[in-house]
Amino acid sequence: MALIELRSVSKAYRKGRAEVWALVAIDLSVSERGMVAIVGPSGSGKSSLLHLVGAMDRPSSGEVEVAGQALAALPENALAGFRLRTIGFVFQSFNLIPNLSALENVMLPMEFAGVASNGRQKRAEALLARLGLEARASHRPAELSGGEQQRTAIARALANDPPLVLADEPTGNLDSKTGEMIYELLSEVALERTVLVVTHAEALARRASRVVHIQDGRLSGNG
Amino acid sequence: MVALGFRNAGRSVPRLVAVTLLIGAGFFLMLVMHAIGRAVEAHTAALQRSVDATLQVRAAGSMGHVNMVAQSDILPPEALDKVKAIPYVEKVETYLLAMTPTEGHNFAMVVGVNPGDTKRLESHGEAGTGRIIAGRDLTAADRGKRVGVMGQGFARWAGIHPDKLPAELILDLTRTHPVIFALDRPAAKLSIVGVYASGYVFGDMQLFMPLDTFREIYGVPRGLSWLYVKADSAANVASVERAIRAALGEQADIIAPATVAEFQTTTTRSVLRLTAAGMALSALLLAVIVYFVMLLVVRQRAWEIGTLKAIGAPNGSIAAAFLAEAFAYGLAGSALGLALFLGFGAPLAKQAFGLAVGPFIPAQYKDTLLDVLSVSAGLDAAQLALVVAVVALVSLAGSAHGLAHIVRLSPLQAMRQE
Repeated sequence: MALIELRSVSKAYRKGRAEVWALVAIDLSVSERGMVAIVGPSGSGKSSLLHLVGAMDRPSSGEVEVAGQALAALPENALAGFRLRTIGFVFQSFNLIPNLSALENVMLPMEFAGVASNGRQKRAEALLARLGLEARASHRPAELSGGEQQRTAIARALANDPPLVLADEPTGNLDSKTGEMIYELLSEVALERTVLVVTHAEALARRASRVVHIQDGRLSGNG
Repeated sequence: MVALGFRNAGRSVPRLVAVTLLIGAGFFLMLVMHAIGRAVEAHTAALQRSVDATLQVRAAGSMGHVNMVAQSDILPPEALDKVKAIPYVEKVETYLLAMTPTEGHNFAMVVGVNPGDTKRLESHGEAGTGRIIAGRDLTAADRGKRVGVMGQGFARWAGIHPDKLPAELILDLTRTHPVIFALDRPAAKLSIVGVYASGYVFGDMQLFMPLDTFREIYGVPRGLSWLYVKADSAANVASVERAIRAALGEQADIIAPATVAEFQTTTTRSVLRLTAAGMALSALLLAVIVYFVMLLVVRQRAWEIGTLKAIGAPNGSIAAAFLAEAFAYGLAGSALGLALFLGFGAPLAKQAFGLAVGPFIPAQYKDTLLDVLSVSAGLDAAQLALVVAVVALVSLAGSAHGLAHIVRLSPLQAMRQE
């Protein structure tokens, strides 16, 4: 059964008076589990695609269905609930909350989900330990290296055990060695859920179980 | 998220300091205005306590003394019931008065009252009430009996010694005086059961007897010399006065205590309005400060708001964090404002009173009121509650626009705003 279904999805943005089509009539189906890499040059529409799947934006036309949920029908508040339960985000710039410790950052999505304080601390500690960050749990993002920050962000993405992790250029701000470690981690994560990753990095794309090429808003190769 | 909001307030120390100073100044101003308002209220309450809220009603153009030349008209019998029916009238005391000559051109007052009512000395009670120094006061059991209580001066003139009570007093109603005419009534024998002292010469020259006894002795079966009408509060004196005038028309003269009512209408109300306006302006200033700070915070943290939304934060949680941050600024500022108020509130309140309130109050109070007022820079539970309520209110009002902005944004819009 497909976890992600995109049917004839288009997305247009206004740039002044002009209308720019970021995505044009995309059809895509992604199954449960495994890593799918969306690869394409800058401005090709890969991030737009990720945002639509992640319910961070709405399509201009077409249907987006994730985990059996048609997103077009959901109001904003319901979309927040959907993201909370279904999606884990990993951003290029890590996007950790600066004045919270690594542990608190990981606990945050569980707080939104209503997990009791004890339960979320235990799970956050376990996730950080799994990612080799147990000694850095009390540190704030500014006190962590780039790799540590991204690992913390991955732990946060897994906090509510979502079926889908979306990663937008997860190694874009990391050196190659650290990037390699992040690829490794995401590959591990993809063993038990779907990871949709937008990347320029060929090395990461090679680790993916499936690579989707995108150019000028259209899928050019759907492997 | 509320805890995160409080922590967010400390993220930028320069901002926290600047906002605390601004909010602190606003709170200081508000507390000063509140202190002035409270001082004026306390002053008014003290005036109300010290001044009798009682009006005197007597027949128009007459002193109401039954044997006084050209002053012997008394109130008609129905006046009492009309006055008793007036709203805010708490009590009506009835008096009948006559005069009796003493030495030379001097005279004493003879007063009929209901036992238990106030025995006012002198014409308007300005000598207060007497204190029994020998014997006893009149009681309800004395109604209709030929008994009386007299001042020590009158007793001395009549040859009655306070140590020898009860004593007999003969009232000769035929004796005259340049202002007293003779009444064709038999002399009355009274048993003096008590002597009082007032510390006031003319106040000690009075004789009180039960009202019924007075009627019998002086032959006044109906009507009354004076009514003492007590309003339920000084604030209602003016209303009661108007109602009496409407009820009795030209039949009566009314002597009302104007001091408190005048002070209340001209000064207390003005000061309270000004201080309330000052407090409202301070609260508005605080809300404007919070508004701009929170707008800046929302703009600076758009990326963070977007992230929180992306990871599933409901709008309510994000709003709670921003509200908590605004509340934290408000608390920090109010703490500074309270500290400033405790340290410098009293002297600066007087300065503020002179500058902000002084020009708006009547000249007769302008120079003296500030000396009389006791402006306190103390804190009580009501003030603390006021501060907390204002902090909550301005946090909410000041953050409302920013919060509405946050709620409207999608995660992506928020991230792209930065």
